[in-house]
Parts: sequence; structure tokens; C-alpha cells
Amino acid sequence: MTGQLAAAGPVIPDFSQHSSSCAVHNHLFCADWVKANWGPVLWPALRQHVVLTAIAIAIGFAIAMALALFAHRHSWAVQPTLLVTTFLYTIPSLALFELLVAPVGANIYAAEIALVSYTLLILFRNILTGLASVPQEVLDAAEGMGMSRRQALIRVELPLALPSIIAGLRIAVVTIIALATIVYTIYNRGLGVPIHNALGEGPFKTELIVAGGMAILLALLADAALVGLQRVLTPWSRAREAS
Amino acid sequence: MSEFREAFEFIFRNGEVPGYPGLPSLAHLTLETLKVGAIGVAIAIVLAAPLGIWLGHIHRGSFFTINIGNVGRALPSLAVLAIGDAFFGLGLGVVEVALVILAFAPIVTNCYLGIVEVDPELVDAARGMGMGEWEILRRVELPLAVPLIFAGIRTASLFVISTATIASLAGFSGTLGDVIANETSYHFSGVLGAAICVAALALAVEGVLALVQRALTPRGVKLERAARKMDLAESLAV
Amino acid sequence: MTRRRWKHAMGLVLALATVLALAACGSSKSSTTNTTAATSGKPAVAIGAKNFAEENILGQLYTQALKAKGFNVSLTENIGSSEIIWKALKANRIQMYPEYTGTLLSAVAEQPTPPKSEQAAYEEAKAFAEKEGFTLTEKTPFYDSNALATLPAFAKAHSLTGIEDLKPLGKSLKLGGPPEFATREEGLPGLEKVYGVKPTFKPVAIESTYPALEGGQVQVQNVFTTDGQLLGNKFVVLKDPKHVFGFQNVAPVVSKKVLEQQGPEFEATLNNVSKLLTIPAIQQMNKAVSVEKQSPAAVAGEFLKANGLA
Repeated sequence: MTGQLAAAGPVIPDFSQHSSSCAVHNHLFCADWVKANWGPVLWPALRQHVVLTAIAIAIGFAIAMALALFAHRHSWAVQPTLLVTTFLYTIPSLALFELLVAPVGANIYAAEIALVSYTLLILFRNILTGLASVPQEVLDAAEGMGMSRRQALIRVELPLALPSIIAGLRIAVVTIIALATIVYTIYNRGLGVPIHNALGEGPFKTELIVAGGMAILLALLADAALVGLQRVLTPWSRAREAS
Repeated sequence: MSEFREAFEFIFRNGEVPGYPGLPSLAHLTLETLKVGAIGVAIAIVLAAPLGIWLGHIHRGSFFTINIGNVGRALPSLAVLAIGDAFFGLGLGVVEVALVILAFAPIVTNCYLGIVEVDPELVDAARGMGMGEWEILRRVELPLAVPLIFAGIRTASLFVISTATIASLAGFSGTLGDVIANETSYHFSGVLGAAICVAALALAVEGVLALVQRALTPRGVKLERAARKMDLAESLAV
Repeated sequence: MTRRRWKHAMGLVLALATVLALAACGSSKSSTTNTTAATSGKPAVAIGAKNFAEENILGQLYTQALKAKGFNVSLTENIGSSEIIWKALKANRIQMYPEYTGTLLSAVAEQPTPPKSEQAAYEEAKAFAEKEGFTLTEKTPFYDSNALATLPAFAKAHSLTGIEDLKPLGKSLKLGGPPEFATREEGLPGLEKVYGVKPTFKPVAIESTYPALEGGQVQVQNVFTTDGQLLGNKFVVLKDPKHVFGFQNVAPVVSKKVLEQQGPEFEATLNNVSKLLTIPAIQQMNKAVSVEKQSPAAVAGEFLKANGLA
């Protein structure tokens, strides 16, 4: 079977024609490597990272908003919700990812459940604080103007709670972007993948700096964008926002 | 699930893996994680607390302290460790630098907020009574700021314990992250067991710090906080 | 707040959400490397690979070769260690992955007695797989076992050709390896039991394997037989006639049902790839990925093309 072929052997192409001496010698930044690997390695990782974050924030925000609105009406719910969300937040990220793999599997669901858990505490607290900080006189005035509770919520309370909500979003987005770098341990997506690959090989400096740098830049840009959003939406708020 | 049962068995065996004698025990790794984290938080407190407290006292630098809070959070620790590794290699020094950077932000922000939020009337009254700046700080502002200062230290400790385990992903050995990152030797039951230990460590540290905070909080502040339904300032200090 | 600001803000949020949704759709389509071009209506096959370079190369080789023949396959890289990937296989999240015969027996089957030959390792592994509903297609010529390497000068000075020649050096020999080498059967205990070699052990992190040897921190180092760095004559690999390091040829573990469903050409394609994987071939591919930082997908593609399989 393999007897006759063994003599011929496989054709081994010359891979070195594609290699860059910069990468082989592990210089700090190899532009040619980055150019060659942007499409297949770096850009997909960045895109996956953004998607992971976006999904976590969207779901986390929806759940936290629902919880906060409920707790705002029914104040007995505040402490229990705070307790559960704080507990989730306390579990170190690597641990939570691994703990979820056993029941859920090493897939996007485990990754997103963990990421969403981390957003809940931050967003719940901030939304609730924002709603709770609306002065009673303003609520009374709204009632006096004939607004229903729902109308008051949408037209008065939520807009006034915006600074706090956006402050919470800032923290949540930045935290999730950082946490998403560890998702690779259970699910092969995100900027953690090239970082991990680079750490194993050497460490391969160019890939570390580019992937790590992108993660950091992404977080800083997202933070800046949300600060901008806050300025647009709430020009009256002072620089002293919740942090 | 059987995986959780195996994980707990792993914990009770103190991290022994049949066929691999000579692995560090779980207790040892946990202690090491605590040590690495404690050094980071201690250094951060020494650097950040005086700065935050002083800025709060003179009511300056709000932009700096509040935004550095977010920059510190924005830095993904794995990325920071990776870049540190690229430039300097990965020793305890680089890891501690990453931990201090991480812990600095919540401590400086919360110390600042804690002092700044003290009722200005109280401070004025104290000044009127002839207290010096140092005395005001020590007898009025600091005691009232204890909840927020400790919130900052607790947050910082949490960040640091998480990151100390992540350092193993970057190649730094000695913490519980070693087990979590080394599935081939420890099997999934070991990884899960170590994960549970990390969570337990974080909760234990949380608990101890909460007790210390309670011990240091003056009685009047405790009564006042109990009267409020939710501590606004503290809730903002994540 | 004015209605205008609300409108602006909502517009911004909507725009952002749309962009993110598009990115999500875009990424979910391309993250499964699926080109359902010339499919014959057969069910899709998910292939997995463990989390190191050689496995990813193997995964890419088999996946790309199958795609070239029109099969509907996708590859998930970096799934994890043997334990994890075997779980994924049994849970039918993947239907195939490349496994090392020795590792299948020791880590998955947990067989206490090691196999006595390359062929025995393959057959025992295959028997185990078939009990579980899977099978092994043909094994590769290459084996990726542990080995001991040293510098030519050192080998010459002490007349070293095989591991047994290390015995007289005793404790003066500095031997390096990953920390687990100290406790594994395929490590220090095995060396002592089988060859009577009792060196001084120095734990060396995986990424420092070759630098430690070249820099002289160790005189003999634990390496893998398929490491790209072993090409050329920079290092001498000591022979292991008593097979203390076992047998580790690769063979794809495939679900029996999938082989039936996909027809004989599926298995034939896998075997055509496996036949070509000699140690030099794999070493060159490992070198391209590990040393020259090329991507496994690109390297696998080039190899297949050069051999008329893609």
C-alpha cells in the first residue's frame, strides 16, 4: 500500500520564500507580517471581539434595564438583585468561564453568559442610581401635570437618569472589552486568540503588540465614543459624573 | 453534574493528580495567588490612596481621578501582560507592574470621591472650630470616607486576584492560574476545582475586607447609612 | 431634553446597532470556513483540532483536501486538549479530529499498559475508537513523540547515538524539559526505569526549549520529533530503541456513521493526505508556522497544492 509511494515521498514546497526575516528574528514590529496576516488572522479577531462585546452589552443592558425598572417600583427587590449581581461580579473571569463549560459547553453561550453576568452589576447599579436620583419634586410636578407613571418614566425619569446610565455603559463596555480577551480559553474567538498564539511562540513580539495594542485601543476608543455620546445627550451634566 | 463532583474531589485532595507526583499543592498555589495579589494591592494603596485623598481634600483634579478610573479599567490585563512580555519578558516585576496599574485606578478614584463627597458644611464647621487641615482630614473627612475608600480597595483586590490568575495564561507560573491554564496535566476536573478556589479566594478576601471596613467605620456613619435605602455614593463607586 | 437631541441620539444608536448587526452577520458567515460550493447534498461534517500548531496544521490539511473534493466540511481550531476534544466528539459537536495513537490510548482510553509497537498502538487505538462508535483511518508515516536532543559537539564528545549512552554521565548531565517531564512515565521516571539514566533535571518552559539547549543551560533537552527546529543539522536527536517515549503516529478519528454517509471517496481523501505526511514534511510545515510565523491555513494550502490535492 504505502510501499510504492514511500519511495516517491511528498513534494515539500519551499515555505521560506514567504517568510520575513523580521518575523523570524522576532523584532518588535514587522510590517510585512502584519500586512500578510491582517486578513486571515488579525481583522477576524478584531471583528469577533467587537461582536462578542456588542452582544454582551446589548443583552446585559436589556436585562439590567428590566431589573432596574422592576426594582425601582418594588424596592424590596433591590437588595436581592444587588446580592446576586455582586456575587456574579466577584467570581474571577477565568474561573467563571471554566465553571460554565461544564453545564453549557465550550461555545459562544458560555462566553456570552459569563460576559453578560459581568455587565449586570455595573448596569443595574447605575441605572437604578440614576432613576433613584430624580428629585421627588420633579416627580410630583410631573404628576401634577397629569402624566401617568409610565409617561413620567419615559419623559422625565429616564432622561434625567441618562448621565448615570451612560456612565454605567462606559464602565461596562470597557470591562467587557477587557474580559473578551480571555474568551479564547473556552471559545476560539476574539483578540485573545492571536495574543495566545503569540505568547506560545517565542513570544512573538509583533503579534503580541498588534493584537494587544488593538485590544487596548478598542477599549479606549469605545470609552471616548461613549463620553462623546454623553456630551451630546446630556449637555447639562457636569464633568463630575459617576465613575 | 459529575464534573463538579470531580472538581470538589480534586480540591479535597489538595490538588494531587494521580500519576503526577511533585505538583504544587492547591493550598500552596492559593497562598501564592494571595501573596502576588496582596503585593500589588499594597503598592497601589501606597501610591494611589494618598494622592486621591489629598486631591479630594483640596478639591482639585476631579477630571484626572475620574478618568484615570476608566483608563485603568480599559486596559485589558492580558494585553498589558502580553506587551510587557514582548518588551521585558515575564517576571514577577512585570506582573506586579500590571497589577499595580490595574489596582491604582479604582483606589485613586474612590479615595478622591470619598473625601470630596464629605458634606462641605461639616468641613467648614471644623475649620471654624479652629482645626488644622491635617486634623480635618484625620478626624472629619477620613472617617466619613471609609465606605468609599474601602469600596475602592475591594474593587482593586477583586481585579487583582482575577488578573493574577490570568498572568498564568501569559506564562507566569506560581498562581492558581497555572492549574486553570494547564488542562493537559490537571484535566478538566482540576481546572474546575482551581476555578472554584479562585472564586472562593475572591469571596474570602471580599469578606475580610468587609469586616475590616465595618471595624473602621465610625458608629455615626454606620447608623446614617443604615437609615438610607441605598448608599448612592457607594453604589456609584464600582 | 429637546426632541431634536433625542432624535439625533436615537439615530446614532440605530446606526451603531445596524453596523454591529452587519458585522455580526458577516462574521458568523465567514467564521465557519464553509464554502458550500460543489456539495453533493451530503450532511455537513465538522472537523476539530486541538490547541497547538501541529494539530491546527493537520486540521487544515484534511479540511482543505476534503473541500477540494467537494465535501461540505468546516474546521474548528484550538478546541482544547484530548479530554475536551474527545468530549466534543462524543457530544457530536464535531465528527472528526486528528489524534495521536499513543495519546488516544493513554489519555482517552486510559489504558495502563503501553503498546509495544507502532502498529500495535494504531490497532489498539482503533479498537478502542470502534467500541465508541468511531474509527481510525490510515495512520501517518510521521510520529510526534517526545525525544531527547543535544548539540552535535556534545554528542561527539561523549559518543552519543542513543539514550542508553547517557547512563554513564549520571548526575553530571543537565537535562531540560517542561515541568511535567519530571513526573510522567514518558519522562524522568521512564528514563530511569528503562535506560538507567538519572540526570539532573532542569525545568524549561516550552518556548525556551531550543534557546536553553543552544545557550548551554542544558546539555540534553526534551523535544518533539516533528519540531521544525530539528531541520538542518543543528541538533542531534538521540535514538530511543526501547521506545520509552511510546508511539505517536497520527490518524483521523472519524465517526463511523459519517464515513458511511459520505461515501468511500471521503476516506480515500483522508488517506491520500495521511500518506504524504512524513517527518520531514511535517517538520517543514511546523517550521513555517512556528519559526516563520505563517498561518497554518496558508501552509497547509501550499502543501496540498504542491502535491495535487487542492
